[in-house]
Amino acid sequence: MERRLVIKQVLIMAGGLALLPSCLREQGKSTIKLQHLDVSMEQENLLADIAETIIPRTKTPGAKELKLHLFVLKMLDDCYEEADQRLFMSGLSAFNEKTADQFSKSFRKLSVHQREGILTKLEKDPAPELSAFYKIMKDKTIDGYLNSKYVMTSLIIYELVPGRYNGYFPVKTA
Amino acid sequence: MPNINIDAAKANTYDVIVIGSGISGGWAAKEFTEKGFKTLVLERGRDVQHIKDYPTTNKYPFEFEHIGEPALSIKKENPIVSRCYAFKEDAMHFMVKDNEHPYVQEKPFDWIRGYQVGGKSLLWARQTQRWSDFDFEGPARDDFAVDWPIRYKDIASWYSYVEKFAGISGNKDGLAELPDGDFLPAFPLNAAEDYFKGVIKSRYSNRHVISARCAHLSKPNQIHLDQGRAKCQNRTLCQRGCPFGGYFSSNASTLPWAAKTGNLTLRPFSVVESVIYDDAKGKVTGVSVVDTNTKETTAYYARIVFVNAGALNTNLILLNSKSKRFPNGLGNDSGVLGKYVAFHNYSARISAEYDGLKQFATDGRNPAGGGYMPRFRNVFKQETNFKRGYAAGFYASRYMERDRSGIGGSLKDSLLHGKLSPWIVGSHMMGETIPKESNFVSLSTDKKDSWGVPLLNIAVAYDENDELMKKDYIEQLTEMFTEAGFKNITPNVSSQAPGLDIHEMGGARMGHDPKTSILNKWNQMHACNNVFVTDGACMTSTSTQNPSLTYMAFTARSVDYAVKSMNQGEI
Repeated sequence: MERRLVIKQVLIMAGGLALLPSCLREQGKSTIKLQHLDVSMEQENLLADIAETIIPRTKTPGAKELKLHLFVLKMLDDCYEEADQRLFMSGLSAFNEKTADQFSKSFRKLSVHQREGILTKLEKDPAPELSAFYKIMKDKTIDGYLNSKYVMTSLIIYELVPGRYNGYFPVKTA
Repeated sequence: MPNINIDAAKANTYDVIVIGSGISGGWAAKEFTEKGFKTLVLERGRDVQHIKDYPTTNKYPFEFEHIGEPALSIKKENPIVSRCYAFKEDAMHFMVKDNEHPYVQEKPFDWIRGYQVGGKSLLWARQTQRWSDFDFEGPARDDFAVDWPIRYKDIASWYSYVEKFAGISGNKDGLAELPDGDFLPAFPLNAAEDYFKGVIKSRYSNRHVISARCAHLSKPNQIHLDQGRAKCQNRTLCQRGCPFGGYFSSNASTLPWAAKTGNLTLRPFSVVESVIYDDAKGKVTGVSVVDTNTKETTAYYARIVFVNAGALNTNLILLNSKSKRFPNGLGNDSGVLGKYVAFHNYSARISAEYDGLKQFATDGRNPAGGGYMPRFRNVFKQETNFKRGYAAGFYASRYMERDRSGIGGSLKDSLLHGKLSPWIVGSHMMGETIPKESNFVSLSTDKKDSWGVPLLNIAVAYDENDELMKKDYIEQLTEMFTEAGFKNITPNVSSQAPGLDIHEMGGARMGHDPKTSILNKWNQMHACNNVFVTDGACMTSTSTQNPSLTYMAFTARSVDYAVKSMNQGEI
């Protein structure tokens, strides 16, 4: 048990995934170990704020607390083509620049209201250079949320052992 | 051989050798060990012990590295096995990676394999239907392949025998084309499946929707509890290995049962390169095994050899077992060994929506998967422009639609409070393919695997009959779905290569005549009476039933015959 505890402390929990921390602890680099992506600490923090804007803390935890941005990075790093990874990273830079141009400050320094305004606009009419980035970011943030340990054990309970089947389960029709 | 070490030979001698520990090998092991025969089971892969070696069985989705999706690098390294529906993070450790045991695709063929103790019995979809005489009489009536040397009456009692031990859930449906078995209670159809069943019953005299029959313990009997198995818990995570032993696998059932007798020796990491034929004795004396760890070759000896390596690997072993008497492969006087390979055509499916019965949904999960439509084409008489026909799965479910539009608190709200979809219904075809000489496997003449065995060359393809049948399936299902008032009917025809059905069969077929078949009616080699083949390689034709139950019944029947023959001194 003790060994497990130590391992748990070393790993970073994102959603429910256990991620390895980056080895080198290089100054200004992402906190998790990535094989293909080169992500700075600043970019990681920006992704955290975007994720939190998509799924904010309400009465229940939001994206930041569940580290869903790290889930996005892990999935992008391991399960996407290099071309998609490039589009994501260039889209992230473009997003940062556009926001800075428009508000003369970075996304991270904006109010929640302003942040929501930016993403709502992006949602409706994404600039071509941002569309791939935003689609992956949003899809994976939602996937990470719905598959997070928190949601699966507290909100939409995943049953590992149902022990039953009812093919005529009554439900409200409305 | 004068230098042979007699003691070593003695230590390596058993009554029986079974090659392979999958669904049929496991049955051979159980039957022989129960009857008191010292049995060596050779498995080319690693050991997988029930429960202990199911590392993912109790994991939540978030406990997998990528919530179940294999990493892109793994998919790219393994394009073949990645096409299999079950190749996910929860079960990919039970599936052979592409480079682990390569083969030559003379024509595209996705060969999906499980090299470990238990083989694919850990991974199978657990659907179990008996054959009827409409199936066994097929080749003779419709003029293809060769006549099956057996009929339903020859195997009916053996179906009962294996059903009682394995535990098969189903209803007694009273259909001539799909004989009833010794069943545990069926998993029921749900509201929409029942509705479709009713529609079909009222519109068609010879079409039926029944509860899928499956190898799950819906209500275990003492014989199942004695195996250490328990009631199926409706997890539908079967491909990970079941900690309850809720479905039948070699690992949960036959192998531990065989081990309890004290007569079983299980040797993993053992690739059989060939079966040893002794020209002087005029029979097989054992097998030659390459240890995959040490690469050492060792001979093991026995009175009888059962070849249950999995249909195509059984062909590979027999083709590679050459002797003076059998220069073209063991038992291959006729030249048909490796030929007349067939499979099941799974290349079309169809889905739709049903707007009714919204007062019902499902709760829990159905391990049987839903409903099953036995073959209704060309059963009682030839009625189409193609030979034979197809069975069809039928299933309905409602899922939670979670609106992903928007952002912020409202998005979170709509994600957490989904809306039940209408009933989504679906079906897939399981078509009979016609065995042909031109669909064959052979040995590569220039390429060998890591153990010095020639690679298997596979030349198996669809034909015109398959295309016509596929078209008919889509037409008929569209008609039936329309009759049922289903909307948005969407056919989905896939161009997948053969193989993904994982129902490859034939190559060492049974038949009356040694000139046109390899095995007789007892699954015994015509030309070498102490070798038996009871896996998919023995199949003369494929019909449309999921094949595993028939392999089990063949195996138990064949062992019974082999033991009687040994006792009478014939073998």
